[in-house]
Amino acid sequence: MAQPSQAAGGLTSIPALLHRNATEYGDRPAYREKEFGIWQSWTWKETEAEITNLALGLINLGVNEGDFIAIIGRNRPYMYWSMVAAESVGAIPVPLYQDSAAEEMAYVLDHCGARFVIAEDQEQVDKVIEIQDRLHQFEHMIYLDPRGMRKYDHSRLHEFAHIQEQGHAARDELTPELRRREAKLDYSSICVMLYTSGTTGKPKGVVLSNRNVIESAKNSAEFDHLRGNEEILAYLPMAWVGDFIFSIGQAYWCGFCVNCPESADTLTVDLREIGPTYYFAPPRVFETQLTNVMIRMEDAGKLKKRMFDYFMAHAKKVGPSILDGKPVGFGDRFKYWLGNLFVYGPLKNTLGFSRVRVGYTAGEAIGPEIFDFYRSLGINLKQLYGQTEATVFITAQPDGEVRSDTVGVPSPGVELKIADNGEVFYRSPGVFEEYYKNPESTASTKDAKGWVATGDAGFIEPGTGHLRIIDRAKDVGKMADGSLFAPKYVENKLKFYPNILEAVVFGNGRDQCMAFINIDLSAVGNWAERNNIAYSSYQELAGHPQVLAAIKDHVEEVNKSVAQDEMLSGCQIHRFLVLHKELDADDGELTRTRKVRRRIIEDKYSDLIDALYGGKDEIFTETEVTYEDGRKGSISATLKLIDAAVVPVTTQKVAAE
Amino acid sequence: MSNEEGYVTDDGRKIGGTLMEMKNITLRFGGVKAITDISFDIKEGEIRAIIGPNGAGKSSMLNVISGFYVPQEGEVWFKGAKRPPMKPYQVAQQGIARTFQNIALFEGMSVLDNVMTGRLNYMKSGLFQQAIWKGKAEREEVENREVVEKVIDFLEIQSIRKTPVARLPYGLKKRVELARALAAEPMLLLLDEPMAGMNVEEKEDMSRFILDVNDEFGTTIALIEHDMGVVMDLSDRVVVMDYGKKIGDGTPDEVRSNQDVIDAYLGVSHD
Amino acid sequence: MPTQLLFGTEVLLNGLMAGVLYALVALGFVLIYKASGIFNYAQGVMALFAALTLVGIMDGQVPFSHLINAVLGTEVHHFGWHINAVVSIILTMGVMIILAYCVQQFVFRHLVGQEPIILFMATIGLAYFMEGFGDLMWGSDIKKLDVGLPQGGSFWIEDNSRWLGFGNEDFYGFFIDKLDIVATGIAAILVVVLVLFSQYTKQGRAMRAVADDHQAALSVGISLNFIWVMVWSVAGFVALVAGIMWGAKSGVQFSLSLIALKALPVLMLGGFTSIPGAIVGGLIIGVGEKMFEFTIGPLVGGATENWFAYVLALLFLVFRPQGLFGEKIIERV
Repeated sequence: MAQPSQAAGGLTSIPALLHRNATEYGDRPAYREKEFGIWQSWTWKETEAEITNLALGLINLGVNEGDFIAIIGRNRPYMYWSMVAAESVGAIPVPLYQDSAAEEMAYVLDHCGARFVIAEDQEQVDKVIEIQDRLHQFEHMIYLDPRGMRKYDHSRLHEFAHIQEQGHAARDELTPELRRREAKLDYSSICVMLYTSGTTGKPKGVVLSNRNVIESAKNSAEFDHLRGNEEILAYLPMAWVGDFIFSIGQAYWCGFCVNCPESADTLTVDLREIGPTYYFAPPRVFETQLTNVMIRMEDAGKLKKRMFDYFMAHAKKVGPSILDGKPVGFGDRFKYWLGNLFVYGPLKNTLGFSRVRVGYTAGEAIGPEIFDFYRSLGINLKQLYGQTEATVFITAQPDGEVRSDTVGVPSPGVELKIADNGEVFYRSPGVFEEYYKNPESTASTKDAKGWVATGDAGFIEPGTGHLRIIDRAKDVGKMADGSLFAPKYVENKLKFYPNILEAVVFGNGRDQCMAFINIDLSAVGNWAERNNIAYSSYQELAGHPQVLAAIKDHVEEVNKSVAQDEMLSGCQIHRFLVLHKELDADDGELTRTRKVRRRIIEDKYSDLIDALYGGKDEIFTETEVTYEDGRKGSISATLKLIDAAVVPVTTQKVAAE
Repeated sequence: MSNEEGYVTDDGRKIGGTLMEMKNITLRFGGVKAITDISFDIKEGEIRAIIGPNGAGKSSMLNVISGFYVPQEGEVWFKGAKRPPMKPYQVAQQGIARTFQNIALFEGMSVLDNVMTGRLNYMKSGLFQQAIWKGKAEREEVENREVVEKVIDFLEIQSIRKTPVARLPYGLKKRVELARALAAEPMLLLLDEPMAGMNVEEKEDMSRFILDVNDEFGTTIALIEHDMGVVMDLSDRVVVMDYGKKIGDGTPDEVRSNQDVIDAYLGVSHD
Repeated sequence: MPTQLLFGTEVLLNGLMAGVLYALVALGFVLIYKASGIFNYAQGVMALFAALTLVGIMDGQVPFSHLINAVLGTEVHHFGWHINAVVSIILTMGVMIILAYCVQQFVFRHLVGQEPIILFMATIGLAYFMEGFGDLMWGSDIKKLDVGLPQGGSFWIEDNSRWLGFGNEDFYGFFIDKLDIVATGIAAILVVVLVLFSQYTKQGRAMRAVADDHQAALSVGISLNFIWVMVWSVAGFVALVAGIMWGAKSGVQFSLSLIALKALPVLMLGGFTSIPGAIVGGLIIGVGEKMFEFTIGPLVGGATENWFAYVLALLFLVFRPQGLFGEKIIERV
């Protein structure tokens, strides 16, 4: 195996790994980015030079050891270099979500007391300028793209390239200082600080050490046999721990190449052109891609559609077995080979998955149909379960043991235990150092022996040793009769239908469950188009009787499936409504990572919940919405409240304690 | 080139001397006067707006500048010299690019090919050189493509580079049209109602692009718009037209307080 | 192989060759129609005119000799020299470019923005003018055109395909006219060159731009007049090639201009705006009419070649009015 030659012993920081890569694989590509229509690339040697110049420039600008440097922008090589350069000079990089509003940024920037900000473009710079008067420690901002900023006051504003030039010019005086600071870095120094979006309350700054990052990268790279010739596409937010581990941790440990897309809109094309070998995406991305494929097939010619259906049915039958290396007859194999020639191959190529050797999804439960679709094409898609606090990895599925309903076995170096209330705990070298300036939260999350509470309820499957997650521990509640209430379990089942984008189930402490549903505009809109149903807005489509009937069917199917699980049969949905607007992070209804904020929704739409429980047939409601530019408005609608058939529960309440 | 002193804007940009001057322009269609004795100038580096109610003759004025209409009376001065009557393509070759109110794109081509047509005047190698496709012709192609890619990047239309224009929504078509005009690296950019038919968000995007173009490339811009709010935020100086006559000329503030302009926009009857 | 099938194959091959020539003429139509929206009825006459000019130059004929002799009472007919075929072709091309310039300068420049039917009428006028002008310039007798293209059947193919008969005494191998083979080759090269020209050269791009939107083309600095002269020149070039082929095959005579009418059904099949459509349409008509004559012809008393193409075109008009490759005509609201 082409593992890096040195043991982790001498390589106790990201800058150390950078120098190793520059020495050992100097001419191999480290970064690529598509700009002006062409893939530009940087070797490890060039990367080292860029980062060194930037680091010298930072020292020149007055960055001290222990300073926090906020980094805001989309995935670009320069932004990754900023993170590594920050660490090189002994500062702590703090990547921020680039789509955060200025207000959200203000909290984080103030909380960590960032003296410096490295921002990608005018949009980000404007946000920071808007709030800078409130940030007492903020001093200088560096921006990458000078466009539109010629007229700005440059007393505290610096262009990225200039900082590098100044650093380079002062290299003779400053290099010893840089080397001195780099030499001080070890396993226990801080590598990065990441703010968790948090489903409730203010974001918390998770401090990760070099040990956390490098050990996690090393263990996970061994688990999946990652090497220096992998190609990844970096497109997920840089502020998210996963991107940090994949695009910096593992990339520097293995020495593989990180590719940055041209822009957010060109992702599909870039994906096809790069053809990553190692790929990560949240379930939502896979779901959207599948929906698009299905929509395209609906519009395709008859022959094409029939071929697709025929071979996909075959792939469903034998694809996963072939992928898992299980015995499959020659005839089936041949037919699969044909299918690969005509359908799977071209399809994978269009999706950009031709070369994927290891693919992961995590963050939310993925629909079994979606999961199986990709696996049946021969894409080695697996699930993992992780957290920022664990430096990503808690459990992951080994090759050959992949199922849609588990999240895998403990990752190398991770110990698991399940508490009496079902909450999952873990301990590993990746366990975070602390929540920054928040000892209470640190203490309540991580105990003295290093065990960390995940906040999720789950159990270890007897026989296989795989972990299964039911729901957030605090969301698992009790119905009025004492039976278990696991809303997410039901919501996920609902969301597996392409027509349903989002669902929120209520019922804690009540005798029945009710649900809010968001339809998926692209799926339902396409269906409407094909059936000549005219609509002018999301709201109109969401209220269409035929749409409501279709959703009702889905809900009733879910009820049947829920009823089969004795413990959770009380969670069947008795009544539901289809919301008149999409739940939106800008309105605070979802987190930035698009998780449902249950309490906020419960408050905001209390009138609708009361109406559902009150047995009304319809209700008029008015809701405040926030537009992208921050302005507020309101929309109103009369919503239909619909009864769904439930399967009578015969077994008695088992879970009553 | 400058025959008059420039000025400095409120936000600190230096505006140069006169780039284009219209002297006593009168344009008639048959017996109908579309423009009556209008004079104004456009200075280097400024954003100059021509506004007025519908039918005021704004578009006719733009068509005079770009050579689509030839005025019966008056003179057009460009770069300090009187311009002889010219065909629109000759005007374009002089470094004046434009967009159209109703979008005139090559619908059968991709976005990239459309923007590339903006470079046609920079392609100098002959048919024979191109046939051999070596050396100069190839280098020329690469250089022109580079300029085009920079424009594509600037206007953030990378994702539709290969898309046939006919499939694009209205707002993006407007942007592609701007891209094609920019690709010509014009000295003077004429925009005919760049914001017409756009929603609020698209208008904001377009305003930003216009400001950035002016800021980044120093391009002189003359634009027509009937949305007063947008124009006042965007432009350095404004010409106001009504019924083919000039009723105001000056900075947005000056124009706003001009009684004739207020009357024209409030629809006071002319007598 | 049964004899019928072998003969059928021969007919098919000959049909393909004829189709190539139809396609060549249709190509001229498409070029002009796309770029200027003019349906050029004179395309066939242009081929005749080009062929006449070529023969005249090669034989050293004195242009307008009839007129000159009648007015001046002289008796000049020939300069008394013969010019090499290649040089003559280049000179003829020069004449076609001059013609293109004149057509644009004296006719269509004054008709910009007119109704299509007016433009069409203008091309009819142009056709008759050119026919008469050609007669006046070069005389109206049937001329033989020999630019050195191979003539007669290919013995090589005949000899080397005889074995396909497998001892069948009636089969002497395929009979294929050498000229047809050359014509096919030249037509193929011509199409490739035209496609490369329109896709990759500055002038080609400008031509496509003009074909797409006049206003937009003007705004990026393209002179419409120049492009239209160019398009008429290219169409003249295509006409010259077609004229050479047909002329070499059946002599340069008035009937040459009638092949233009065969190009009509080709266009209806292929679509008026598609270059590949013109090619495929030409081949379908060429093969179709030969095969029809071969199979059905004997049953209905022959001479189906006169009407087959038009009936096929009529069927297409009913079921697919935009042709095989034409853009679907949808009026956007």
